[in-house]
This record gives sequence, structure tokens and C-alpha cells, in this order.
Amino acid sequence: MNERIAKLKSNLQLESFPLCIEKFKLITQSLEETEGQPEILRRAKSLARVLDKITIFIEDGELIVGNAASKPMGLEIDHDYGPWSEEEIASLKDEGYTISAEEEAELKVLNSYYKGKSLVGRMGEVLYEDERLWPFMQSGVLFPPWKSREEGSGGGYAQGGLGLAPGFYLMGVDFAKVLNEGLQKIIAEAKEELKVLKFTSANAVKKCYFLKAVIIVLEAIIRFAHRFANLAKEMAAEEANSLRRKELERIAETCLRVLAYPARTFYEALQSFWFIFLLITPSPTAAAGRFDQYMYPFYKRDIEEGRLNDEEALELLQCLRIKDMQLNRISGKLNRQKNEGMAKWHNWTIGGLTPEAEDGTNELSYLILEAAKRCPTPHHTITVRVHEGTPEDFMLKALEVVKTGIGMPAFIGDKSYIEYFIRNGVPLQEARDYIVTGCLDANLPAQSRTASIAMFIVPRVFEITMHNGVDPHTGKQLGPRTGEVEQFTCFDEFMAAFKEQLAYFMRLNAERNNIELCAMKELLPDPVRSSLMSDAIKEGRDVLDRVMPFENGAVMNPVGMINVADSLAAVRKLVFEEKKITMKQLKEALAANWEGEYVEMRQMCLKAPKYGNDDDYVDLIARELYQYWAEVTGTFDTALGGKHLPTAISITAHGPGGALTGATPNGRFAGDVLADGTMSPMRGMDLNGPTAVIKSALKINQDPYQATLLNLKFHPSALKTTEDLRKLSCLIRTYFELGGKHLQFNVVDKETLLDAQKHPENHRDLIVRVAGYSAYFIKLGRAVQDEIIKRTEHQLTV
Amino acid sequence: MIESHNTKGLIFNVQYYSIHDGPGIRTTVFMKGCPLKCLWCQNPESQRLQREIFFELEKCTGCGICVQACSEGAIELFEGRSRTNRKKCSGTGRCAEVCPVEARKIMGRSVTAKEVFEEVARDALFYQRSGGGVTLSGGEPLAQPRFAVSVLKLCKDAGIHTTVDTCGYASWDTVQQVLSYADLVLYDFKHIDPAEHKRYTGVSNELILDNARKIYHELAIPMLARVPIIPTYNDSADNIKATTQFISSELGKNIKVHLLPYHRLGETKYERLEKMDLAVLIEPPAEEQMLALQEIVQSFGLEAVLGG
Ligand code: SF4
Ligand code: SF4
Repeated sequence: MNERIAKLKSNLQLESFPLCIEKFKLITQSLEETEGQPEILRRAKSLARVLDKITIFIEDGELIVGNAASKPMGLEIDHDYGPWSEEEIASLKDEGYTISAEEEAELKVLNSYYKGKSLVGRMGEVLYEDERLWPFMQSGVLFPPWKSREEGSGGGYAQGGLGLAPGFYLMGVDFAKVLNEGLQKIIAEAKEELKVLKFTSANAVKKCYFLKAVIIVLEAIIRFAHRFANLAKEMAAEEANSLRRKELERIAETCLRVLAYPARTFYEALQSFWFIFLLITPSPTAAAGRFDQYMYPFYKRDIEEGRLNDEEALELLQCLRIKDMQLNRISGKLNRQKNEGMAKWHNWTIGGLTPEAEDGTNELSYLILEAAKRCPTPHHTITVRVHEGTPEDFMLKALEVVKTGIGMPAFIGDKSYIEYFIRNGVPLQEARDYIVTGCLDANLPAQSRTASIAMFIVPRVFEITMHNGVDPHTGKQLGPRTGEVEQFTCFDEFMAAFKEQLAYFMRLNAERNNIELCAMKELLPDPVRSSLMSDAIKEGRDVLDRVMPFENGAVMNPVGMINVADSLAAVRKLVFEEKKITMKQLKEALAANWEGEYVEMRQMCLKAPKYGNDDDYVDLIARELYQYWAEVTGTFDTALGGKHLPTAISITAHGPGGALTGATPNGRFAGDVLADGTMSPMRGMDLNGPTAVIKSALKINQDPYQATLLNLKFHPSALKTTEDLRKLSCLIRTYFELGGKHLQFNVVDKETLLDAQKHPENHRDLIVRVAGYSAYFIKLGRAVQDEIIKRTEHQLTV
Repeated sequence: MIESHNTKGLIFNVQYYSIHDGPGIRTTVFMKGCPLKCLWCQNPESQRLQREIFFELEKCTGCGICVQACSEGAIELFEGRSRTNRKKCSGTGRCAEVCPVEARKIMGRSVTAKEVFEEVARDALFYQRSGGGVTLSGGEPLAQPRFAVSVLKLCKDAGIHTTVDTCGYASWDTVQQVLSYADLVLYDFKHIDPAEHKRYTGVSNELILDNARKIYHELAIPMLARVPIIPTYNDSADNIKATTQFISSELGKNIKVHLLPYHRLGETKYERLEKMDLAVLIEPPAEEQMLALQEIVQSFGLEAVLGG
């Protein structure tokens, strides 16, 4: 790490982070002025106001500019998700976030403007009085449960990034187009299209609004870049240090050109990229797409023409890591539990097949990894696509980075990912160009987007099945009456009841998704993202208001499926086959949380077959469950025009989701965490090492899933030599060749983690992989910390 | 030697994804029983050719269930916890079955060669791709020769690469019969001086060194040398020099030498076997010392690797 990077990196380590309301204020002012105009125009104008007025600054030493919030390391209150209640603000202050008394008072006034106008408020309109859906929303089958009509699932967001909400889009905009053609071209196309527009249908009117909105925002973005050009010029004039003065002059020149026009150099391309990235955030899931592919021509040309060397490229790539670290985020209390440690998944996808079936790995792919090694920050995330022809050197390079303990890159298998798209009718060439959006979900750049993804806590449905549709925590009849389990005479009957309950709740999930999609579509059109999708100007529609070439608007996502598989195995074995316990006893034991006389029964349940040990008895149950989930998911339409598609990622919902779930027959106590990941075994239950885990996971057909997640934790001694890394690489390749989708590794020994719990001050920069993203260990909640420590460490011979 | 699928043996662990016991991804089968008694033994549960109880004192609640269950009257309660009279215990494992908190675990599993083979074959997928296979370790595989041969033969017939990790202390007859089914031998050199060897391990090393020569020259099986580095016992530069001298001049210069630093993971095992009196408390060697020893080996023109 050179001096510049070290200094910029040290700026990231603050004791407390400022909450900002400048963006909220600017947007509110603009919205007040535009009352009554079409929503998309109002939104466009409010964004233009932000870009024209928000405080901008360039930090000392920065090469890539564009601040994420009005204060360094600040978080702008995001109004689109609903108001921040006083209670929520108080809890943030307790956690060390700062806001001045005046601003807090102003915030209250701003909040009042939004009562009921937020996404949550709009969803509440439908959900609140619905007999089926409201109890469901409150039950915690979907995490987080809703508290009230106004507060939804717990407060809003505060985050860095200057664009429009909603944030939880999984999509990749067309960066290549911006870099290669510039925004002026899109503006010109939009103006041209407006000229020839004939108002022969309602859609034409919509299109007119859309095109005008696009022109407003894209022009504002160019002005925004020019503001930086002016600022850099002013700063250069006052700069005493001649080296820095030169840098500032270069920044000024670059910002004057980029975005409006095509980038000419690697540096210009990076600056262009960053401005666009600022405009597709705030978002915890903004994706850079195939960064090593579309950036490569710029890099290559510079290298060939002697304008750039690898050290300079590396410095810039590290600057970009630091810029991404400035995109802070925090959410309401309940959402904070769902994804801890300022969770975000700004994913850079590298390597993998090109559309022409060649290997896409290039020098830049290596440099991106090297930048992460030299500047080991938890963000941005890197995901390495692996196919048969991925060079072994590249695998080793990636594993070198894994070895540093920052939990990245993650590895994903081209084979199963591509198969997923093929199954859904995407042409092979396009499928090969897939990217990772969010933690692991896949999308096609500029061709698809996922806007709704909920966390479905499957073990809650298991509990409800055990009680004939009644939620044991509230005594309310929540699901259908599928029979008193004590009366069941065989396992098949039990399984059938569970499946019926599952399908019922999945339908409610799908309905809820559609309500969310419609609210988003109505309230939150986004001309920026929409203009950067394929055929945007010709289509003339917001990205949520058109059917995409690949339509995956909403996905359904099971959390804790493995706990249910283990539980079903225990029930089958102990109740129905060996008849060692009766269903009645089991229910009593679960109700008693295994306490008292049930200690021994818990031992029996713990010893029943567990997923993750290459044991067909339970693995085939897991397989059946995932198969069923995928099939049922595909029967539900989305409000955007396609079908729901299955995915299986858990973020960290397995922690709080577990907290809402009673004891389960796999031997788990009430409130304990659920299995993390979705292909991962329950922690501590895999006793035969990583190969057995992989074999278990391979029994599940992962192809229908948009993503799956398998965490393996290794002791550092398993990754010491290059030989060790080769073996790990072989493990990864084997998994992917046989249909696995994703693997990620946590490499840190237990002692270090325990010490970090005791002496957090000594481990401020300790990074671990949580579930699809990396985070500072000391910023995670205690429960998640404990869980990471307990997750089986695949160690060497003792 | 009559090998058979049904030959029984006593093992105490099957370790999958074993990556430091030979090439590729391997499965290591740890066999119970060892003719040596190294003072620093890090696997004390491997020494006796008999089932034993591993006891985790911290977990025991003193409920006394195991006391009732033991047919040998080997368990009593003491200071609120159970305690096992190891002389009386015959390794039935009954106590481990009934203990509600898993404070007791039985070490040692009696299995047929076929059963072990099936466990090993589960990972065949990974062997093919990584150039790995099975490693018999211990304990001492040569201490259960018929069983070892049976397992190795089954593996070889299935196309699985076989490795034997041995201390080399057995009659030539036994060595020859077992190792004829081995594709690779990991050979332990604990001390080069016969008297010191006897002092620390209970036996002299003449037979061991002699077997090494014959394995290498007569059987011509590829060999890796494994030298545990145990501070104050065998970690002197002189010993490593002499050991390397032996390997390079009496065996061959193409033998890779693995220097295995002592680790303290064995200490708790003595506790669990209630044999704390036998545990020696040694600090692991420092990194610099390991590097210095590595240099010594390299100075003979041999490849030297730190760790597995
Ligand atoms: S049964 Fe287990 S817990 Fe009870 S006394 Fe024996 S060892 Fe201790
Ligand atoms: S293993 Fe058998 S003999 Fe030994 S202590 Fe336990 S019950 Fe008694």
C-alpha cells in the first residue's frame, strides 16, 4: 500500500459517522415545487436539484472524485423508505452515529411531509387491512416482520450515494455504453425520439414523460461532473504542492470531458464509471458488472501506448476500493439485524467465459485481485467466475487473496449459472455474459433486473405445520389446517402436510412481492437506471414499467431450508421408522425447548442424520425440498410480467430469523441461529470435512436457482503453501463442474476471533465473510460473531 | 499374507480432505496401535491397540449415568465429575452411548477392510481430479499388517493411489508385504542416533534405517521423508545434518524432506485420556529455527518443505 492509499484508507476509520439531511432537504424542496406534475418528472427534477446543489468536495490525495454524501463518510437519510422515527434515530445515536440537534429537529419536519407517501406507506395501504396478508406480514415467516402500517419492517435507510431509490435493485446498468459513447449520445437519441413521437396511445404520453425525465437527469449528471471540474480547477490554483496541483489539473480536465463524451483513457473510464456508480447508489446491491471486460480495452490501449503502467493502474483500482468504502449505509433496527456490519454487496464480477465461449480472464482481472490484496477493505466485493478454461494461475491468485482473510473473492461456477439462464430461454451467447448483482444473484447486463427479494424463514412454516396451521407463538390460525401431526401414520403424510403449508405461505410471499413491485413502479421510477438499460430510449419506459428481455422481476428465497431437512430426517427416523419417540413427546420436547426430561431426546435428535455429511438419508430430503421450492415458485406470476424465479441466498437473515423460531427437531434450541448460506450445513453438524459438504450440496439440483450459497471456513494452516492452494482450487473446480454454483471461504483462526471479541480495539481492521459479503468483525452483532466462531473450521489432521 | 475384505482392524479416525499427507486431496485413515512410545507423541490416542475413552471433563455434569452403565465398574464419581479407572476399562463404549452431554467419546472403531474402503472410496471424485488418494497413518499401519494389506489392495484395485505413513519399525517380511501395495511411502525419521532414538521412542533405530534402505533400493517405492521437529529432543542442527546425510547418501537425493514443527494440539488429548502425567509440555519451534533447519536440509541438495 503506498502512502496515498494508506492515508485515504485511514480516513475511513472514523469513531462515528455523521447522519446527513442535505439530500433529503433538496429533494423535498424540489418535490414541493413540482407538486402535481408526473411522478417521473418530479423525481428527475428532484435528482437534478441534488446534483446541482449538494455540497461537493475533493479530499486530499484523491485521484478519483465524487463524494457520496454531503459530509465525509456521511450517510444521507433516504426518504423513499419511510420516515425515521425518533426511536430509530435515538438507537442510531446510541450506536455512535451523530446528528446535530438542529438537523434532528429539521428531520422531524421533513419526515412529516412524507407520512404515508413512502414505499412502506403505499404497501401498507394494501396490506394493512388484508385478513390473510397482514397477519402473515407480522408473523415473521418473512423476515423482518412488519411492526405497523407506518413503520413497515422497521425504519428507513441512511446511506451514501446520490441517485434515486429504490436501492434493492439487483441489476447491472450498461457501463460499457457510457464509457464508449458518452451521455451526450443518449441525450441526443432521447431528443430525436421526442421529436418523432406521435401521441396515438397512452404509452406515447408515458414515453414523452420518460424521455424528458431522462434528458433532465443526464444533463444534470454532466453538470455535476462539471462542478467537480470547477472545484478541482479552483483547488489547483491554490495548491502549493506542484505534484498535487498537476493531479488536480488532471481531475479538472477529466471531469470536464467524461460522462458527456466517450472516455479515452483508463483514467477517464474509471472516473466516468465512478460518477455513474454514485448515481445508481444509494443501493446496497449496486453492481459493477463485468468490470474487467468493459474496462480492458482502455487499460490495454494505455499500456500499449505507454500512458500507463501496472503500478499506476493498481493505485487507481485501490482508489476505487476506497471510494466504494465511502458509500456507507445503515438501516432501521430490524433490517440492521438482517444484514449486519453495514452490509452491502457492490459486486465486481471478473473472469469467466466471454459470449464467444473464450476465457475472459485478462491482465486487469489479476490487477483487480492484487488491488484487493494491497488494499484489503471489505468493499467492494469481488466475485470470480470459474469455468473449465479458467487459468490455474488465476485461481491461485484469487486464493492468495482469500488467504489474506478478507473473505473474498467468492467463486461461482459458470456451468450452473449459465444453465439457469438457458432454462429460462436466454440465448447461450447472452447467458455467458451474466453478472453477479447483489451478493450472488445473477442478472444479464442491461437486460434484466430483480426488484423484489424477501427472506422466507422456512423453519417458521415447519413449526406451523407441527401445529396444524396455528402459529405456536401467537396461537393464531395462520396457515391451512393440514391435520394434527399426532394422527399421522407415516412420514409421507407429514411431508405432504409440510409441503401444503409451504406452498400456501409461498403464495402469500408472491402476493406481497407483487404489492411491493406495484408500489415501487408507481412511486419510484428511476430515469437514470432506466436510461442505461438496453433499448431504453426506443422502449421509452421506466425499468419497472417494461418487460425485460430476461424477466426476473421477483425471486423467492428460502432461509433455513437445511434446518428443515435435518428436522424432517429426525422426525422420519425417530418417530416414524424407529418409533423411538412419539410425535406427542416430540411436540412436548419442542415446547419445553428440550429442557428438563427432554435432554436425552435432544441427544437422539442431534445424532439423527444431518445434511453436510454425504448421507443420502437426509441429503435427499434437502434435495426434494429445494426441488419443490423451485417448482412452486415458478407457478407464481409477478406484477412485472414474468414468473417468480427461485433463488437461495440468506444474507444474515438466518440469525434473526432463527431468533423468531422455536426449537426444531434437528436438536436446535429456540432462538438459535439457522444454518447460514443455503447449501451450507447447520453449523457444527458437518463432521467429515469439506469434501462431504460438497458432495451433500451436489445432490441438490442447483440449476433452477438464480443463486445458492455455500460457506466453508478454513483454518489458515489449510492454505499455507501453493500446493495447498492448488488442492483448494481443485475442490472448487470439482464442485462447479458437477453443478455447484458458489463457494466462499472464511480463513481466520478461532483464537484471533476470540481475541477480537475480547479486545476489539486491537482488531479494528479484521474482516470476515458473513454471507455473501465481507464486514469488519467487530462491527457485527455478538450473535453473528459467535456463529462465525462456531461455524465448523475445516482443519487439518490433528 | 492372507488378505480379505473381512479382515478386521482398529482405527480411530478417518480424515477427509487431508492435504498434508501426500499428493493431492487425500483421505487419511488413522490406525490404532504403535510399537514406539515417543515421549512427545501428539496422538496419544493412537498408541494402544485397544479402544479407549476420551473424556471431556469440562462437559461432565456428574450425573452418574455412566457409572451405572459401566459393566466393568470402571467409573466413579469424584469431586462432582466422573473418573475412569483406565486399568479396569475394557473399552465397551457403553458410557459414551449413555452420557447425555457427550462428555465421553469412544476412541477406536473396529471395522472391516471393506468398510474402510467404502469410506475412502466416497471421495474418489476428488482423488481423480487432484491426484490424491488414501493414506494409511496412525498409530502405525504396520502394526496391523493383514488389515493394512487388505485395505490397500482394495484401494489399488479401485484405482486409488495409496500412501503409507510409517515409522518403519517392523520385520522386513511385514514391511515388504504391506508396502508392496503402496504407491508412496512417508517415512518418519525421529532421531538419527540409535541411543537417543531408544531413549525417546523406546526402540533403537537400526531396524528402521535398515528397512528404509531396503524399501528405497529393493522395493523402489517413491519415498518422502518426514522429520518431526521437537524442541530439545531432536531439533539440533547436528541431528538434522546427520539425518539429511543419511537420506541423501544412503537413500537418494530425490527424496523430499518434510520438516514438521511440533504443535501443542496433542496436549488436551492427554487430558482427555486422563494421562496428564505422561504429557510433556514443549513449546513449538520458532519460525526462524524452522527456516534454519530447512536451509541445512537444502544444503545437501535435497528439497525441504516446512509442514506436511
Ligand atoms: S454420564 Fe456423562 S455427564 Fe454424567 S457423570 Fe458420566 S461423563 Fe459425566
Ligand atoms: S468404555 Fe465401557 S468399560 Fe470403559 S468406562 Fe466406559 S462403560 Fe466402562
